[in-house]
Amino acid sequence: MLRLKVSDRQEITTLHSFLTLVFSIVTGMLAISLIFLISGANPLYAFAKIFTGSFGSIYGIKETITKAIPLILIGAGLAVAYKAKFWNIGAEGQLLLGAIFGTWVGLNLGESLPFYIIVPLMFLAGFIGGGLLGAIPAILKIRYSVNEVISTLMLNYICAEFLTFLIVGPWKGKTKFGFPYTDDLPESAILGVISGTRIHYFTLILGILSVLFLGFLLFKTRFGYEVRVIGENPNAAKYAGISFFRTLLIVMIISGGMAGLAGVGEVAGIHHYLSYPASISSGYGFTAIIVAWLAKLNPIYVIISGLFFAGILVGGDAIQISLNLPAATVFVFNGTLLVFLIMGDYFLKHRVKLQWSRT
Amino acid sequence: MRLISRILAVSLFLMFCSGQVLAKNKLKAGFIYVGPIGDYGWSHAHDVGRKYAHDKLPWLESVFIESVAESDSTRIIDRFVQEEKVDVVFTTSFGYMNDTIKAGMKYPDTHFMHCSGFKQSKNVGTYFADLYQMYYLNGLMAGALTKSNKIGYVAAFPIPELIRHIDAYALGIRAVNPKAEVHVRWIYAWYGPDKAKEAAEALIAEGVDVLAFTEDTPAVIEVGQEHTEKGKQIYTFSHYSPMQAYGVDSVVSGQLVDWGIMYVKILKSLKDGTWNNKDMWWLAAEDAAILGGTFDEIINKKFIPDLKAVKVNTPDLGKQSVYDLVVKRYDQMKQGVEVFDPFVGPIYDNQGNLKIKKGARASKGDLLSIMYYVDGVVGSIPK
Repeated sequence: MLRLKVSDRQEITTLHSFLTLVFSIVTGMLAISLIFLISGANPLYAFAKIFTGSFGSIYGIKETITKAIPLILIGAGLAVAYKAKFWNIGAEGQLLLGAIFGTWVGLNLGESLPFYIIVPLMFLAGFIGGGLLGAIPAILKIRYSVNEVISTLMLNYICAEFLTFLIVGPWKGKTKFGFPYTDDLPESAILGVISGTRIHYFTLILGILSVLFLGFLLFKTRFGYEVRVIGENPNAAKYAGISFFRTLLIVMIISGGMAGLAGVGEVAGIHHYLSYPASISSGYGFTAIIVAWLAKLNPIYVIISGLFFAGILVGGDAIQISLNLPAATVFVFNGTLLVFLIMGDYFLKHRVKLQWSRT
Repeated sequence: MRLISRILAVSLFLMFCSGQVLAKNKLKAGFIYVGPIGDYGWSHAHDVGRKYAHDKLPWLESVFIESVAESDSTRIIDRFVQEEKVDVVFTTSFGYMNDTIKAGMKYPDTHFMHCSGFKQSKNVGTYFADLYQMYYLNGLMAGALTKSNKIGYVAAFPIPELIRHIDAYALGIRAVNPKAEVHVRWIYAWYGPDKAKEAAEALIAEGVDVLAFTEDTPAVIEVGQEHTEKGKQIYTFSHYSPMQAYGVDSVVSGQLVDWGIMYVKILKSLKDGTWNNKDMWWLAAEDAAILGGTFDEIINKKFIPDLKAVKVNTPDLGKQSVYDLVVKRYDQMKQGVEVFDPFVGPIYDNQGNLKIKKGARASKGDLLSIMYYVDGVVGSIPK
């Protein structure tokens, strides 16, 4: 009888890990090619279009960087949470709550304060907003064993509805002709952009600095060590006396807070007012999950994978326009790649053998 | 060898020239849609219009992109202008307004047409097809058909456009049935079939037997058809696209839009240089707003006998059946708002305050900013 034998792999080398990553991406791309073929598009042409549309022109590069900003911020935060095996699926909601907190500060205090005070205040408020939302599932999990996948996911909807409530209700702008938008942020609260682009550089710099900081925190400090031990061997962590409550709470405040920063960046840098949830975020919280995985949960690599997925989002427009593929193609693309990355991870950590056995 | 290279050079030059000439004769348009073109509502109707323009105008080239979040329009406009080299960009959602105006300043040699907005500039124009007259005509039929005198409306967002439609619907209902009232449910989504279904079910549970709506899918109609098949007649009115096929026993009529004729007009004016940025606000008179749940008939044949059986008195046209009244009012609307318009006073809000004086007609500005329920609508607009 043919049997499947699964055992843990004892030793994983860097080379092995790298090759698995490459193999996962290549097989994922092959699967995506199949989808392109079924929709009647030449896969090679489609991939070429995605690449030239995102990295192949000045226009594409500018837009790719703009889209990468929120992905890098959120992806780095998610990497920290996933390193502790805390499955935060709630970045979308954390982004929105951060945007709500930041906008409140901008709208109410922005008139009277100069930009160098109001902008940091808004980002601080956004971090607190996202962090508070991140803390809820952490507390629920540790104190009441509530599954964090469910609680973080469901909080997304609550936040989206809360935002909708604000913009059609108490926060509806007086200058927006009855449309469900808040008023524009005052001039001092709006982030500058690199001229000729939509790149709000303040958030970009903030993103790179916080990514470096998180990389340092995770791999060079005692706290980071504790996070990794909790993730890799919870029993050992228990014996070593690591406080799950304290560590996971901080992890989730960071993870949610990073998404909150992204939310403030999007409002203050791109939109300048709050509007429908789908408009504020366009799914960054979910795309960033893949960004974190592709970066092998290393905050520093998130910069590269963030740019990569931003490129796919931007290049996705190009294939939509030139191949008339539906807008959902990009989501199929991302989802397929994630499945292959996670599969690759499984095969990296486990040795899977087919063997004949007698019984 | 030299000969060959010379022939090559000349032919290349000729190809280049003819390419140039060809490019001059063409006009390229880019369309930005806020929803998926398969939504069977707003974006679908715009794409039908784009395809119609394609069939009519052999010199037209077009590109489109669907499901563009309002915040992403700048990126797409940049791509259309810089990469696709379009001559005109159509931005088909209110939320694209400010980005369209900004793009107009950034690209002075490109034209922009923004749908449903109110800001124009040198190279940015606006256009819109409004359906309030059709809602009035739907209201006439709803008022005649209801048994429970409770009429429902599933609404997307509390903005002036929707309030105008609800009010026109109520004015039509009250013109034939002073006892009927309109119950509104807000779903806070343009595209939300699940929410629309829920709202429709909730209204039916409260005793409503006629439903109109603003949402970009046939969800409400499917609910109406389901109840009708189970033996409880629910009347519905199709919205935006021809949805009668989704509810042959339920859809009485509806509101349809023909963006195609508008797109042809705009594109032709761009081609021959007569384009200007004056707001185009098209109604029944311009054939942009059309009555019906399908383009083939203005009223579902199944319900014509019922509508003929109800007689109603009007101050200007005397006593007649509701069916005849609908046909006559539609004809009057096609002649122009001066001949007949629903928003002619006296019109009171549902608190009893006089809003439009006797004999006065609401101006375009009044209608575009209307934010009160007329008499006959239950409740208040969410603040």
